[in-house]
Order: sequence, then structure tokens, then C-alpha cells
Amino acid sequence: MIWLTFRQFRTQALTALVILAAAAIAFLITGLHLRHTFTADLASCGAQNDCSDVLNQLRYTYDSAFNLTQLLVTAAPALIGIFWGAPLIGRELESGTHQLAWNQSVTRTRWLAVKLVGVGAASIATAGLLSYLLTWWAGPLDQINGDRFGAMTFSTRDIVPLAYAAFAFALGTTAGLLLRRTVPAMAVTLAVFIGIQILVPTTIRPNLLPSTSVTFPINQATTSQANGIYGTAGNFRFQGLGVSQGAWVLSGTPVENSSGQVVYMNSYPGCFPGPGAGGAPNKKPGFDRISQIGACLAQDNLHQSITYQPASRYWQLQWIETGIFAALAAALSGFCFWMIRRRQN
Amino acid sequence: MSAILHAQALGKRYGRRQALAECTLQIPPGHVVGLVGPNGAGKTTLLKIACGMLAPTAGEIEVLGEQPAADPAQLARVGYVAQDTPTYPGLSVADHLKLGAKMNPRWDAKLAQARIEQLDLYPKQKAGKLSGGQRAQLALTVAVAKRPELLILDEPVASLDPLARRSFLRHLMESVAENNTSVILSSHLVSDLERVCDYLIVLVSSRVQLAGETEDLLAQHHRIVCTRRKETDLPSGLEVIRAEQTDRQSTFIVRGESEIPAGDWSAEHLDLEDLVLTYMERAADPGHRGTTHPTGDAR
Amino acid sequence: MGVRLIEFHLDARSGIAPYLQIVGQVRQALLLGLLSEGDQLPTVKQVVAKVAINPNTVSKAYRELEHQGLATAKPGVGTFVTRSLGQASLAEHAPLQGELRAWLAKARAAGLTEPGIEALFSTTFRESAEAEKEAEK
Repeated sequence: MIWLTFRQFRTQALTALVILAAAAIAFLITGLHLRHTFTADLASCGAQNDCSDVLNQLRYTYDSAFNLTQLLVTAAPALIGIFWGAPLIGRELESGTHQLAWNQSVTRTRWLAVKLVGVGAASIATAGLLSYLLTWWAGPLDQINGDRFGAMTFSTRDIVPLAYAAFAFALGTTAGLLLRRTVPAMAVTLAVFIGIQILVPTTIRPNLLPSTSVTFPINQATTSQANGIYGTAGNFRFQGLGVSQGAWVLSGTPVENSSGQVVYMNSYPGCFPGPGAGGAPNKKPGFDRISQIGACLAQDNLHQSITYQPASRYWQLQWIETGIFAALAAALSGFCFWMIRRRQN
Repeated sequence: MSAILHAQALGKRYGRRQALAECTLQIPPGHVVGLVGPNGAGKTTLLKIACGMLAPTAGEIEVLGEQPAADPAQLARVGYVAQDTPTYPGLSVADHLKLGAKMNPRWDAKLAQARIEQLDLYPKQKAGKLSGGQRAQLALTVAVAKRPELLILDEPVASLDPLARRSFLRHLMESVAENNTSVILSSHLVSDLERVCDYLIVLVSSRVQLAGETEDLLAQHHRIVCTRRKETDLPSGLEVIRAEQTDRQSTFIVRGESEIPAGDWSAEHLDLEDLVLTYMERAADPGHRGTTHPTGDAR
Repeated sequence: MGVRLIEFHLDARSGIAPYLQIVGQVRQALLLGLLSEGDQLPTVKQVVAKVAINPNTVSKAYRELEHQGLATAKPGVGTFVTRSLGQASLAEHAPLQGELRAWLAKARAAGLTEPGIEALFSTTFRESAEAEKEAEK
């Protein structure tokens, strides 16, 4: 049975090996270059201000590569689900070859178990390798960004991709079993996976652990940590306020007064530089300017709230999300076993 | 020796559709059993239950004394080739043999190899590139080389040309002669089966209409042609299977243990095709309820 | 594996039981001198590999030949012819053939067509064969 599983999987395995090899080489070469540049840049910039410009420059240089690789590693589990999962049982049922396989002296349970474990392990290993490569490659860029919680970032680093691969594989296999046709199973798997990738970062991941809320009074001390003010006609807020580097900001209120009402920039013309009327979106004064604004507003008893997950929660969240999708993968696999044994065909 | 297949009131229902009903069979070993019936009669359902691909919804079945596909040991004793003789298109002939070798403890590699050579199949050729007849032969080889006690074949020759059909049956019979395998094979054409089958099961409208050794069945049935008369006027002890009346003439198909005595009628035996057709027609009759019509004094 | 001396064929439409056809073909071969004492009949496996028929049919035919004293089975070796049906050629039956020709002429004169003659012959042949069987019982 082990022989048969891998004989049937041969083409897909070879394709994956070629792609992985190419990816590894590409990651390795560009990653080493990136690290070299990063170290050189860090060494050359003296004062703090210079560094941020240089490093941002580096980050923008790699911007498209960064997004592209994240996209590919996001897509990898979907491809695994489609090309490895959906045909696993679906192709056999579609072409009737299950009638050949199930009559050999091997029970259906064992047949499915070996296929699931064999190809499943390959799926997890593939995703694991891609995740490892990307996590290593993007290390300097993640450091510059200071944000490990971006929707596509979190799901393409460390251990979460492995669980996604296991889940997508189990999903594809189940779809193939239920629909009994490969192509519709592929379509369903893709649709569900895309749905998950949209749903999870926006509604589920932020709530995996209880978030922290903190309210900052607006004064010189608190605003000295801010690195920008974003404002529209209706509201404004301080960017990067008081929350530790790398935290995941989930939501927040704009600047409000002591009775909880949102206030406008042009209510305080004396504190903001430039034309008073209307809001000036995306004003980015120098740092010391922001704390001056904060000092100016201090007497008005304003405050701003932020809801966030601290950066230290990163690994907890990784493990929880991994656990959830691993459990889903296990549940789907269990369902497949149950369906196979029922023999209602 | 016990029966190779023992079914008691076996039934299979899909939602509202009854695919198989009240199926009771006791098939003795050492025969080539022909399962014949029109399309949709339930032949495939019965065979799938027998090899463990499907579970029944009513009744019981035992194959070679055990539950179908109960464990690997039982699976090794039964060989099954499904309709359209599925093979893996991407795997070569040699791969299929390796599949058999790896997955069956009693695999006879020499036998498999000999048959492949006999069939002029190239080991490296992908199964998807073979003709229909060659695929059927490959599937049969895989089933036979695991040395089963029972072979179950679902319409194995239905889509084969006459030459391939004859070749398939020849190889099948050779295997039977060599290994003393019992075979159950289904077809919707009697002509496929009458050369090779010595036990017959007629399955129509999900029910077993007739079952028994071919020779016995042929000996027991007669066609009586006579002047127009009622069934009661026939010699006693006969079961009337079918009656046809014209103004002048009556034709009865009857079944009985003894020879028909001489009288003002002509009595002759039926050939296998007519016998099967009689039961098929009877089952298709809306008035048929499966009751017997005893003749003469037997009432 | 011995040399295959004779081959069988099955006439599915003849109405004669397959095993009897084989018996008949062995008898025919003996009559024509194709088989003689000591010759081995093809094995069951050889027969069914050539003619797709049930092995039991062949076994039954060979048993019938044994019963008729024409062959004997040596377990593990094969079935062998025990006596020939005489070297008699058709020539010895010339008188019978002559009588047959005369009868055919009479039948045609009486107005029977070819199918009619065949039907008359088959029915009578079958009836007398069955009557003989009854008598033997």
C-alpha cells in the first residue's frame, strides 16, 4: 500500500520537488543578498533618523518580492488541497479504480490511512519547508516593518502554514470523497480555502485571545512616542501611540473629549500647523512637532483608545491558530474514515 | 463443502428505490455461475454486496462462509473485477502486477507473468493506452493472480468485440480449470454466458426469478404446444411458468421434475436463451406476483 | 505437455448438450483413425483454453467416455484412449450408405423438400435415441 500510494503520487511529488528546489535556490540567493545589504545598511547609518530612511528604502526595494513571496506561500496550501487532496479519493471514485484498489487484500481503512498519512505528511513537509524559507528570508524585512501580524504575514510564517496545509489537504480529500469528481472538488476546495483566508485574519484571528484595551490621555509625554497624525474632516488620531513596537493594533477610537465625543482638528486651530480650516489628511510633521501638538492639546482633556494584541502574544496566537486548523484537519480526516466504512456508495 | 455464497432475504434500498429485494440464494462451489438479467435488474448491486463494496440494507449474506470484505484474509479469497474493468490509466502493466504483488499475500507472480506474456502485453505500456479487451484481460490477470477461491466479474465482456470476448472467456476458463476457482459472472446477454456457465441465476426487477444448475433447469422445463385448453387440463405436477393462448392453440412453458407423458401435445425442451427470456417476460408482466400455478390434480 | 492431437469445437445451436458433443467428437476421431489406443486426450485445461467452455463440461465428457469404456483417467497424468472403434473406414459401411441413398430417392419422389427430409430425419433420430436411452435405464 505504501508503494501504491507513492507510485500514484509520483508525478505530483516530482513537480513539488522541482518547485521547492527552485524556490529554495531563489530564496537562498536573494535572502543572503538581502541580509548582506541589511547588515551593511545598519552599519553605515549612524544617527537614528538616518537609519529609518535607509531601512525604509531597503524595504521598498524588496516590496514586490515581499508581497509576491507571501502570496505564493499563502497559495501553497490551496494548491496542495487542490492538486494533492481533491484527487486522492475523488479521482479513484470518478474513474472507478477504487473498485480495483478495495478488492486487494487491504482493508479500506488501511488504504485510506496510508494515503492520508503519506500524502498528508508530504503536504505538511512542503508547507513547512516553504514557511521556513520565507520566515528566514523575510527576517530583516519583518524587523524593519515591525509588524508580524499582517494578514498575509502571520499566515505565512513559522508553524501556521503547516496547519493550513494539513487542513487544505484534508479539505480537498473530503471534497473529493463527497463530490466523487475531481474537478468540482478542486473548485469547492479553492472556494472554501479562499473564504477561510478572508475570514480568519479579519474576524477570527483577532479574537483568538482576549485583546487589551488602553486609553491614552493626549499630552506631551504620551504623544512623544507617536510617529504621525492621521486625520480627516471627521476625526483624527495619533499613530503609533504608546503601544509597544510590533504590537498588533486591532482597532481604536479617534481622539475624543472627556465626554466621549469625537473631536475635529479644526476645533483646535492653535495647535495644528498649516491652514486651519478643514482637515488635512496625512499630515506628517517631524517628531518634535507631534509632541508640541500634544502639549498644546493637553489642557483639553482629550484621549484616544487603542485595542491591541501585544507583540509578545505572537507565538501564543501561532500555536492557537495552528491547533485549530490541525483539529479541523483531524476532524475532516475522521469524517473521511467514517464515510468510507459506511459502504453506502 | 459449504456454499460459496449464501444469501437470505438479501435486500438493498437506496432511498425509495429498491435495488435488490428478497434475494435468497445458496450457490454451491465449483461452478461457473451466470447471473443474467436486464440492465437495472440489480446484478451489479448483488455482486457489489457479495464482494463487500456495498452493505445490504436487509437480510444476510455470507461469502465463503464469512462476511464479505470482513478482513484482509477474506479479501484475499475473493477476486472482483468491476464493470468496465477499471485499471489505473497512468500505471503500466508491470505496475499493475507490482500493485497486486505488494497488496496480496498469496500473489502468484509466475502466473501473472505467464499470462501477460500469453496476452502479448508489453510490461511498460500504460494501461490507459491499452484497448478495451487488453484492459479487461489485465484486470482479470490481477484478480486471478492473487489466487482467489471465488472470482466475481461484473459484465466483463459487455463492451468487448467478439474476438476479445472469446479470448477473455478462454483465459477465464483456463484459470478455472487450473485453480478450481468458482466464478460468478454477470451479463445482460445469455449468449455470453451459455458456453461457460453451469449454474444460472436469473435476476429481474430486483428479484431472483430462477436459480439452479443449468443442466437441471434445462431438463426441468418444457414447452408444451397443444390445442387450446386450460392449464388444469395439463398433466399434474407441473408448474406453469407462462401461458399463451390463441384461438386455436395454447403454448405453455412448464416446469416439473419428471418427463412429460405422451399425449395430444408436443413437448420439447427450451434452449437457455428461451428459458431466460421466459422468466424475464414473466417478471415484466404487471400481473405477476410470483405465485405458482399448479396443474392438473395438484390443485 | 503432450502433443495436442485433436481439437474440439462447440456448436452452440445444435441442441445437443455440450458434453455429448465432445463425446461425439472423440468417437468421430476414433472412427476416422485420428486417435488410437494409448493416445492422450487433451487435458481439461488445454481444451477450455482453446474452446471457451466450462471445465466441468469437459470432465463430464471424459467421464462419459470412461463409462463407455473408450478412455481411462490416470490421476495426475491425463486421460488416455483405451480402445479404438475399429479401423473401419467409411468403405465398410457402403451397404448402409447405399440403403440411405435409396431411401433419399424415395423421400424426394414422395414430394419432401430438403428441409422436410432433414426435419423428418432429425425427429426420428432424436425419438429413437431417446427411446434407446429409456430402454437402457
